[in-house]
Amino acid sequence: MSEGDMAVIKPKMLKSYIWLQTTDGSIQQVEQEVAMFCPLICREVIQKGMGSSKTHAISLPERVNTAMLSLILDYCRFHQVLGRSNKECKSFDEKFIRMDTQRLCELTSAADSLQLKPLVDLTSRALARIIEGKTPEEIREIFHLPDDLTEEEKLEPLKNVTDDPRIRLLNRLYARKRKELKEREKLKNTENGEQNDDRSVDDLLSFINGEIGDSKEIKSSKNKKKNRRRKDQQKNTCLYEANGSHEEKSLNFVCPSDDVNKFRPSPSLTLTLQDLEHDSLNDQLELDDGDIDDEIDPALKAQIDREVEDFARRLNSDWPQRMQEILSLGQERRRAQFSVNGNDSLRRYA
Amino acid sequence: MHMGDKPDLDLISNLPQSIIESILTYLPIGDAVRTSCLSRKWRYKWTTLTHLVFDEKCVAQTGDQVAVEKSLVNFITRALFLHQGPIHKFQVCTSILQSCPDIDQWILFISRNGIKEVVLELGEDGEWFRVPWCLFHCERLTRLDLFRCELDPPPCFKGFPCLKSLNLHQVLVAPEAIESLISSCPLLETLSLSYFDSLALNICAPNLKHLCLEGEFKDISLENTPLLVDLSVALYMTDENGENPEHSSNCKFIKFLGGIPRLERLVGHIYFTKYLSIGKDPGVLPITYNHLKIIELYQVSFEDMKEILVVLRLITNSPNLKELQLSGSSLTSMESPDLDFWEKEGPSDCTFHKLKVVKMTDISGLPHEMEFIKFLLRKSPVLEVMSIMPCVFVTMEARLIIVTELLSFTRASPKAGIVFIQD
Repeated sequence: MSEGDMAVIKPKMLKSYIWLQTTDGSIQQVEQEVAMFCPLICREVIQKGMGSSKTHAISLPERVNTAMLSLILDYCRFHQVLGRSNKECKSFDEKFIRMDTQRLCELTSAADSLQLKPLVDLTSRALARIIEGKTPEEIREIFHLPDDLTEEEKLEPLKNVTDDPRIRLLNRLYARKRKELKEREKLKNTENGEQNDDRSVDDLLSFINGEIGDSKEIKSSKNKKKNRRRKDQQKNTCLYEANGSHEEKSLNFVCPSDDVNKFRPSPSLTLTLQDLEHDSLNDQLELDDGDIDDEIDPALKAQIDREVEDFARRLNSDWPQRMQEILSLGQERRRAQFSVNGNDSLRRYA
Repeated sequence: MHMGDKPDLDLISNLPQSIIESILTYLPIGDAVRTSCLSRKWRYKWTTLTHLVFDEKCVAQTGDQVAVEKSLVNFITRALFLHQGPIHKFQVCTSILQSCPDIDQWILFISRNGIKEVVLELGEDGEWFRVPWCLFHCERLTRLDLFRCELDPPPCFKGFPCLKSLNLHQVLVAPEAIESLISSCPLLETLSLSYFDSLALNICAPNLKHLCLEGEFKDISLENTPLLVDLSVALYMTDENGENPEHSSNCKFIKFLGGIPRLERLVGHIYFTKYLSIGKDPGVLPITYNHLKIIELYQVSFEDMKEILVVLRLITNSPNLKELQLSGSSLTSMESPDLDFWEKEGPSDCTFHKLKVVKMTDISGLPHEMEFIKFLLRKSPVLEVMSIMPCVFVTMEARLIIVTELLSFTRASPKAGIVFIQD
C-alpha cells in the first residue's frame, strides 16, 4: 500500500481518543472530536499535549465528577456535529435540560469549569425558569437555602415591588415591631440606669449589712421595683425567714403590713413576720448572696421563688398595670438580646 | 427556620458570581430583586446586575393607571438606588410611563455608571420626554434606542465615539441635528430612523451596515456608506415630489443607491420605486450589485413605465440575485402605455443565472404585470418557484384569464413550478 493510502485509511480505522480523568478517580477515553468541543480540554490537548494516553490523562477540574462528565459529553457529542438545524438543536436542548434541580446546579458548575459557554447559558436559563415567579419560601425549599436573615434584616420593610396590600400591612406591622424593639432597648437601658442610680445610701448599707439578699433568680426588674418600693415604704418592712434545714435563707420584702397577712406560708418554710426598721437587721440572717444558690436545694429554691413571686405580686398596689408590663416584658424578653436572668417563675407568667 | 442546613447542601449560592449574574439576568427584574430576601448570601447578589430592563410587569397591575405609574417610578428609582457597580444596559419600555423628572435623574445616574446601551420607550399621551444633556456625555454609549422622545443635542456635542446602533422612532429632532448626529458617530453600523417631516437626509457613515428608513423624505442621499449590506426603506411621498416629478434633475436612483456596491438585501415599501423613478434616466448604471441576493419591492405600480424600468434596472444589475419579491399596486386606471416596450426594445439582453424564487403578490392581471412575469420565466434558467397571488379585488373571471395566460408562458427552467395562490 502506498503512503497515500495509508494516510487515508488511518483516520478511518484508528479513531483518536482523548484520555480524561476526573477527581473521583475514574479514567476514561473519549472520542477526540467530542472532547475537543470543550475549550478547556481543547487547550490542554493543543497547548500541553496531554490526553494522548492513559498515563497522561487530562485531569479535569474538581467540579466535574463522573456523572457530570457523562452528561457533558452527551451534550458535546450532539452539538459537535455540524449542520444540525436550529430546530434540532433546540429540541435536543429542551430534552437534555430535563433533570432535577440539584443535577442542574452541578451541571452548571461543571460546564463552567470546562468553559463550555453554550451549556452554561442553557443551564442558567433553565435555573432562571425555575426561580421565576416563585415565592422566597419555595425558592429556599428547592435550593436548600438557609433562612438566615436576622430578625432585624427581615424587619426591614419588604421591597414592596408589587405594591401588594398584604406586604404593605406587613411592613406596617414590622414598623410597629421595630418601634417596640427600640422601646424595649430603651427600657432596658433606663432600667439599667435605674439600677445604678436608684438606691439610696441607706438602702445600699442595709443591703450590705446583711439583709438577706434576694436570691439570684429573683434579680428581676420586680426586685428593682421592690427596691424602689423600699424607698417609698420605709416604715413597713417585713422580713421572712426560711427555716427548716436552711436557716440562712431569708428573704427581704417590702410590703405594706396589711398585705402580708394574706400570704400563706408553705409547709417547708416557716415565715416570720417582723416589723423592722429597715436599717437594723437580725444578724442571724446574714448571708452572702453568692452562697445562696449553692446551698439551697433547687427544688426548694424554685418553691421559694414561687412564693416570693406570689407575695411580691400582692404587694404592688398598681398591680394590674404591673401585670401588663410583666406579661409584655416577659414575651419580649424571650426574644430580646440581653440575657434573661434565670427566673423560671417570670417565664411561667409570660 | 432551618438553622441546621449545612453549607454544602445549598445548591446554588456557591456558583461563580458570573453564573449567578447570568441567571439573574435571565429573570424579569422583579424576580431578580426579590432574590434579596432569600438568604444572607443572596441579599445583594442582584445589585451588581449590569443589565437592567424595566417594564410595566415589574409592578402590580391594579386598575388605577396613575397608581401603577407611580409605583413603577418608585420601583425603578429604588432599584437604581440600591444598585452597585457599573450599569451597561438600561431599558425602560412601557406605555404607562409619561415624561417625569425622575427619568432625568435615572439618566443622570446611569450616565455616571458607564452606561453602554439605552433603550427608552415611553407612553404616547402627554408631553414627550426631553432627553437630558447628561446623556450626550456618555462616551461609552454603543446603542441608543429612543421612542417618542425629544432630542436636542447640546451645542458642544461632538458625537458618540463608540455608538454602533442608533434607533430613533417618532423622535422630535431638528433636521440638521440628525445629520450631524449621524456623521459624528464614526463607528455607526446600524441606523433606524422614523421621521415624518419631509426631511432631506444626507447620510455620511463610513461603517454603516444596516439602514432602515421610514417616513417622509424629500431627498435621500447615501453619500458615504460603502459598507452597507442591508437596506430597508418605507418612503412616503411629500407633495413636492408627487406633483413635480420632472423638475428634479438629479437622478434619485443614483443618489440613493449609487454608492452601495456591497448591498445584500434591499427592501422597499410604499413609494420607494416611485421615488427612485424621479429624475433623469441614468442610462447604464455605473454600479453592479454583486452581492445583492434578495430584493423585495412592494407597491410597485405596473402602470408607470418609469417604475417598471427601475425594477428592471435593479434586477439586471444584480447578477447573483436569488430571491425576488414584488407586489403590485392596484390603481383604478387600467391604462397601459408603452406595451410595445416588451417586444420592441425589451430590456437589455440578460439572464438571471441565480434566480430561484419569485413571488408576486397583489397582482391585478395588468398587461405589464403579465409581460413582466413572462419575461422572468423566459430568462431564469434555474428558477424553482414562481408564485402568484392575485389582489383581493380581482374577480373569478379575471383570475381565470390570468391563469390561462400563465399556462401559456414558456419557461427556461425545467424545474420551474408556477403556484397560483388563492386566499
